[in-house]
Amino acid sequence: MEKLYTICIFTENTLGLLNRISGIFTRRRINIESLSVSETERKGVSRFTIVIKSDERERVEKIVRQIRKIIEVLAVFGYEDHDLTYNELAFFKVDAEKSAGVKELLEGYKRAKVLFEDQRILIIEKAGTEEEIYAFFSRLKPFGILEFVRSGRIALPNNEKGLAQYLPEVDWEYYM
Amino acid sequence: MKNLSSDILTEKEEQPAMESATPISGSEAVIRSLIEEGVETIFGYPGGAIMPVYDALYHFQEKIHHILVRHEQGAAHAAQGYARITGKPGVCLVTSGPGATNLVTGITDAMMDSTPMVCITGQVFANLLGTDAFQEADVIGITAPITKWSYQITDADEIPEILSKAFYIACTGRPGPVLIDITKNAQTALMTREFAYAKCTKIVSYRPRMQPKADQVEAAARLINEARKPYLFVGHGVLISKAEEELKAFVDKTGIPAACTLLGLSAIPADHPLYVGMLGMHGNYSTNRLINEADLIIGLGMRFDDRVTGKVTDFAPHAKVIHIDIDPSEINKIIPADAPVVGDAKEALKALLPLVEQRRHDSWLAEFKELDKQEYEKVIKDDLYPEEGQIKMGEVIRRLSEKTSGKAAIVADVGQHQMEAARYYRFSQTDGYITSGGSGTMGFALPAAFGAKVGSPEREVVAIIGDGCFQMTLQELGTIWQSELPVKIIVLNNNYLGMVRQWQQLFFDRRYSFVELKNPDFITIAKGFGIDGMRICEREDLDSALDTLLESDKAFLLEILVEKELNVFPMVPAGASVSAIRLE
Ligand SMILES: Cc1ncc(C[n+]2csc(CCOP(=O)(O)OP(=O)(O)O)c2C)c(N)n1
Repeated sequence: MEKLYTICIFTENTLGLLNRISGIFTRRRINIESLSVSETERKGVSRFTIVIKSDERERVEKIVRQIRKIIEVLAVFGYEDHDLTYNELAFFKVDAEKSAGVKELLEGYKRAKVLFEDQRILIIEKAGTEEEIYAFFSRLKPFGILEFVRSGRIALPNNEKGLAQYLPEVDWEYYM
Repeated sequence: MKNLSSDILTEKEEQPAMESATPISGSEAVIRSLIEEGVETIFGYPGGAIMPVYDALYHFQEKIHHILVRHEQGAAHAAQGYARITGKPGVCLVTSGPGATNLVTGITDAMMDSTPMVCITGQVFANLLGTDAFQEADVIGITAPITKWSYQITDADEIPEILSKAFYIACTGRPGPVLIDITKNAQTALMTREFAYAKCTKIVSYRPRMQPKADQVEAAARLINEARKPYLFVGHGVLISKAEEELKAFVDKTGIPAACTLLGLSAIPADHPLYVGMLGMHGNYSTNRLINEADLIIGLGMRFDDRVTGKVTDFAPHAKVIHIDIDPSEINKIIPADAPVVGDAKEALKALLPLVEQRRHDSWLAEFKELDKQEYEKVIKDDLYPEEGQIKMGEVIRRLSEKTSGKAAIVADVGQHQMEAARYYRFSQTDGYITSGGSGTMGFALPAAFGAKVGSPEREVVAIIGDGCFQMTLQELGTIWQSELPVKIIVLNNNYLGMVRQWQQLFFDRRYSFVELKNPDFITIAKGFGIDGMRICEREDLDSALDTLLESDKAFLLEILVEKELNVFPMVPAGASVSAIRLE
C-alpha cells in the first residue's frame, strides 16, 4: 500500500545542494510531494523536509542511504506519519461579494482565520494536515475559490531528541 | 621521488619577506596547491577561461609535469589510468564550456568505477555567470550527478582550502571524481591573504567509516565458520584499499574459493590454488554456475552489479550473504545482506582474520574444477590453441600473457577484446587489469594506457583495443608521440563492432544492423603520428610480432587481424539467471 514518508535532511548551508538532493529522487523516478527548507536552531545547518509516497519502506531506506552520501549532508532520517507531528499551511482567496457565510464557516474551525480583507477579496489561512486542509477546501469550494496555495509539510519527530542527539558526531562549536 | 612540498617550504623560509609582501594570484594558488598535494602530473588542455592557470603553470614547469592531450575526454581517461595504477588521484585541467563538457564521459566513468580524480575547469567571470556568456556552461549542474563532490570557486582566497577538500574527498572513503570550477576573476585576482596550505584531514559532514564495527565483523565471522560452501567475490575495493596481502591470508586460512569481478581481477594471482576465475556475464562457467550452489556468498569490495548477479531474484537462492563495503549505500541496494560489514576492505579483512577458523573446502573446490573441465573442452581449448582458421583473440592474449609472465598492466577497451583479455590474461601482479567496467566506455583504453604508463613508467603497459574503440580516441596517439610514452598498443581488428554483432547474431537472428566498419589503414595513421607499427594476419607471425611489440623501447602499434565472427563464451544471456550460463 502506498504510504507517505517524510525525510528530514540536515545539511551544511551550501549552494547547489537542492539540485544534488532532488537528483537522487528524479533518477529513481520518485515524485516529491512536498518540500520545505529552512535554517535550524544552529546557524549554518539547514533542514530539508521532503515528503514522498512509496509502497515499499525498503525503497525509502535506499533513498535515505543515498542522500546520506552527499558530502554536505550531516544526517538523514526517514519517518512514517505516526512517528511525527506535522502540518501544512494553506491560503485561500475568495471573492468578497460571494463570501457571505464564510466567516461563520471559519468559526467551526480552530486553525482557520482571515488574514486579509478588502471590498474585493478575502484571504483565509488554514493550518493543518493535508486531509484537514482538503476537507476545508471542499467546504469552502461552494463560495468560489479564486486562488489556493498550500505549503510543504513541516514536521518534527515525536521523540525526546534534539539536533545534538541526531548529529552526535558533529562538532558543535563549528556552527556556533 | 622528489619531495615537492618540502621545496616549497624551503623557498618560503628563504624568502619570508617577499612571500608576505607580494600576494599571489588565484592561478598561482591553484598550482601551488597542486604541488602541496604532491601532484606530479596534470593531464590537460588549455583554453580561454583557464589561461591564467596555464600562465601560472608556465612558471612551475620544473615542479609539475603537464601532458597535453588531444581531446579532454582523453585527459579524463588518462587521469583515470594514472589513478588506477598508482592509487593517487588523477588531475585534469581544462577550459570552460566545451572543454568541461568533453570531460563528462570520463567523469561518469570515474564515478562508476570509484576512481579518485580532481578535475579543474575554468569558468567565465563570476559577474557573467548565468548570462550565456561565451563558453559558459553550467558545469556544476551538468556534473552534479556524476561527481562525488563539486564546488564553484569565485574568490581567489577560497582556492587553497577548497582544493585541499577536493583532494581529501576524491581519495578517502569510496574514491571518486571531484570537480572544481574556477571563475576567471578568481584566477586573475590576487589573494588578500598569504597563501597557506593545510591538507584537509576532516570534514564534519563527511566521515567515511574505515574500521568496521566489531559486532558486524563477529556476525560475519560466525557465518563464515558455519558455512559448508562459502564463496568469495573479490571486487575493486580490494585493489583500492591495497588489501592483496590480507586477502591472500584470508583465503589461505579459510580455504574459501575466490572469484574476481571484472574490476577485481589481479587482486589475487591467477595461479593461486583457491582462485576460481572471473564472475560476470562473460566470466567463467564454474564461477557463475556455482553461485546458486553456495550456502554463503561474501561480497568483498564489490557492488553486485547486474552483470555479476544476472537475474537478481534467482541469485544465490541457498546462500546467506555477507557484504563488505566502504559505501553504506551499497549494502542492501541489490542483494540483501544477512551480515553487512561497512568498512574498508583491508581493515575488514584484518578484523576478520583472527575470528575465522582454519578450514579446507576441498570437495567444494573440486566442484569448480569439474565444471572448469567442461568450459575448457567447449570453449577455452579452441580459444587458446586453435590450429586453423584466422587468429583468435584468445590466443593473442595467451601468448602475451606468457611473454610478459602475467606481469604487464593490461589496459583494455570495451567489447569482445575486453572480455577475452580479462578471461585469458593470467594476472600475476596486482593492478594488472585496467578497464572501464561500470560505464563500458569505448575509447577508454588508449588514453588510460598512457595515463597508466605515466603513473608507472617501469611497468609494461599494454593496451588491448578493438578496431571500433580505437577510432573513438585515436587522436591520443598524438599525445603518446609528443610526450614520448612507450605504450604498447594491440588493436584486435575484426572489422566489426564485435560485441554488438555477437548480440545481433545470438538474439536478433543475425540481423547485422550497422556493425560492420570500413576501417582506415591504422598503421599508416600510427606512422603519421610518429609511431611504428605492424599488421599481421597469419598465426605463424604472431610470436615474432608480439616480441617486436614488447621489445620496442618506444610506443608501438601492433594490429592483428582476428577471426571476424568470433563469439565470446560462456555467456549469461541478459536478464537470465547466472545458472543459465551458456557454453555455446
Ligand atoms: C561510447 C560507447 N558507444 C557504444 C557502446 C556499445 N558497444 C559496446 S561494445 C561495442 C563494440 C566494440 O567494438 P570493437 O571496438 O571493434 O571491439 P570488439 O567487440 O569487436 O572486440 C559497442 C558499440 C559503448 N560501450 N560505448
